[in-house]
Amino acid sequence: MSANRISEQFSLGFMSALEVDGRGYVGGLLVTSRSGRPLEFQCTTPVKPDRTQEILYGRTLRAWVLGELIGSTLFSRVSIKPDLIVVYDKQMLELRNHIQTPVAFLDDVGADTGTSHSMGGRQLYFHPEHPDDSDFVENRAHLLPGEADLQEPMDRVREALAETVRTVLV
Amino acid sequence: MTDDGSPQALSNISHIACSAARLSLSVGTAACGFNSALQRVPVPDTRASPLITPPPLALSWRPHNIPMKCIGLTLPEGIELLASPEAEKTASEGMRLCETDSRKVSAEKAKGHCRRKRTHVKPPPGAVSLQDRLFYLLQPPLETWLAGQELVLPFEPFPYQYEGIAWLFARHCALLADEMGLGKTMQAITGIRLLMRAAQIRKILLICPKPLIPNWKREFRLWAEELPVVTVEGNPAHRRMLWTMPGIPILIANYELMTRDLPDIPDEDRPTFDLLVLDEAQRIKNRNSLTAQVARSIDRRRNWALTGTPMENRPEELVSLFEFLDVVPPRALPNARQLSKLADEHILRRTKNLVMADMPPRIDRDAELQLSDAQECAYRTAEDEGIVQLNELGGAITVQHVFELVLRLKQITNFDPLTGESTKLERLTVDMEEIAASGGKAILFSQWTKSLDWLAERLQSFNPLIYHGGVPAKMREPVLDRFREDPDTHLLLMSYGTGAVGLNLQYAGYVFLFDRWWNPAVEDQAINRAHRIGQKNPVIVTRFICANTIEERIDRILREKRALFESILGEQDNDPVSLSLNADEIFGLFDLKARGDDGARSIGPAHAA
Repeated sequence: MSANRISEQFSLGFMSALEVDGRGYVGGLLVTSRSGRPLEFQCTTPVKPDRTQEILYGRTLRAWVLGELIGSTLFSRVSIKPDLIVVYDKQMLELRNHIQTPVAFLDDVGADTGTSHSMGGRQLYFHPEHPDDSDFVENRAHLLPGEADLQEPMDRVREALAETVRTVLV
Repeated sequence: MTDDGSPQALSNISHIACSAARLSLSVGTAACGFNSALQRVPVPDTRASPLITPPPLALSWRPHNIPMKCIGLTLPEGIELLASPEAEKTASEGMRLCETDSRKVSAEKAKGHCRRKRTHVKPPPGAVSLQDRLFYLLQPPLETWLAGQELVLPFEPFPYQYEGIAWLFARHCALLADEMGLGKTMQAITGIRLLMRAAQIRKILLICPKPLIPNWKREFRLWAEELPVVTVEGNPAHRRMLWTMPGIPILIANYELMTRDLPDIPDEDRPTFDLLVLDEAQRIKNRNSLTAQVARSIDRRRNWALTGTPMENRPEELVSLFEFLDVVPPRALPNARQLSKLADEHILRRTKNLVMADMPPRIDRDAELQLSDAQECAYRTAEDEGIVQLNELGGAITVQHVFELVLRLKQITNFDPLTGESTKLERLTVDMEEIAASGGKAILFSQWTKSLDWLAERLQSFNPLIYHGGVPAKMREPVLDRFREDPDTHLLLMSYGTGAVGLNLQYAGYVFLFDRWWNPAVEDQAINRAHRIGQKNPVIVTRFICANTIEERIDRILREKRALFESILGEQDNDPVSLSLNADEIFGLFDLKARGDDGARSIGPAHAA
């Protein structure tokens, strides 16, 4: 495969979740080209842990629901597997423990854990147990256009999630 | 209880019903031969005994996933990617990429871009399915999309233009009715470009007036140079080939060729288009005209209409456009409330006052002139004789008779045909000397090509150029190029019909209306050739009106009609509404009454050549 072709096919995943009142969480994964063009989108129906799960998972409940449960499901469902997944909730970094693809948490404020790297004008943080992910991103930062903003796709994912919730739940 | 206390041991125990038993053994001694037996340790025995109530079941729990469903959408570009044989790349292939140029992106720079306004595409009201709405919601903001490396724009669009592009992108039926000069052409081209990039359309037909074809081609080169554009031209056989040839992304044709060629193509060969764009769509304002019928008969999936004057005279004109857009059934007659609702949904109209607060102003001034002696004499003679002749016609008089007299009188106000005297020319010369001295440029509009030629002979010191229907089409572009680039050329003489629409002449700061058109909307179109985006200085518009002549009377009627229209419809946006004179008003110019049922019929010449 030519380098150009690989560049063209470098794809990004943007994963976010919303909490729906009384119905749990919905998650969405948007796969885009390196220039931000949408390629594929998957979202879940609401996922609500029961009382037992809340008690037993305790502080790890959100990481389990968002990262393992929703994240893994979404990743398995997309046909176009992204080269990097950007998440907007630190708990979603848990996804990295269940897939082979690097996962980065975007946070301008600064996370208190893991390695970090600047990409697309934003600071990315990685799972502390996968420090190599930072090198992976560093080696591919040049593939993103200079104008790229990794924060922006979150708005699209959340808009799409809200639209889906309105449509499906109503 | 076990020693280790491990969970496994605890688990085993949980299967045994076990409880502590209080053992109470009384031990005594008796004087008998058995005392030695008391030295032995007692051996207790156990036996199973059923419980009175069965024990409750112990709760067990193992981790399990909560069932969930997924809703998905693969977008056209994703489908293309999946269909690509090279798409079967794996993560490990990706891992092999090791470029070193990794620090190009400046965080500060990118953050600066993040603060920019973002224009998102919104789903159109007619998008019913969730997948359709998601398709639009998932598109990136236009600002970032167009700022990407693949879609370079020569200039940064204005925010309202981004909104117009996003609006067009999401609509199958759209009437973009921005006021002239706000960039309808650029918005349409960029909308086409994005739709093609999103794999939504592949074949586009653009219909426009013939004089505007070079303008469209130039704008396509400027705003979407990667898109190949083919113009329908040549002999009938060649045109037939172009109409039916597959694989031409963008086909441009003029209204006349569309009307002439398409009906002759057999149904099985007739081309189909993903998008049909009608520029200056007021050309189909008469729903019964052949042009409108042919336009409606074209097989297409999307319809866009572009015009700065969606309604020039009557609501029926707007209905005709809606019929083309397929938003009303054939022959429908929606009432005003329905029309208003349709307009809200399918028309996007912005005015300069609304969106271009920073645009230099347009300064209108009426130059009220007195006829020269020779003109006055010629005018009064012609008017008196004309009225006498009209009265002599009696019941045979028609609006055309009156109209001819109006034209004759208007021509005399331009110049006296016998002596060549012209107060308008004198005033124009004075103004042009000042303009030329300051290095400025002016455009002059007239209804008559003969007046333009006459003026050109007398204004040679300003190196005038002529642009009207008598100029061969191939020569028109060079004329505009020279006017733009030659600093010694200060005046462009144009006819309303040829020069009023579609041209970008914002480098001219002065506009002269040498004589008045019958419809203020057309005049405004002409003025907006100069007063449009890119204009950096105020545009001074001078209307020549000869006092105590037919020009003054016509001007008064048009002003009154415009005021009436605005008071009824609440037009607050400087809309160039039209109000051509009808027969009653034409007769009224000479205190005559209309005969027959011509009263409500709008009259006026076709656009000057």
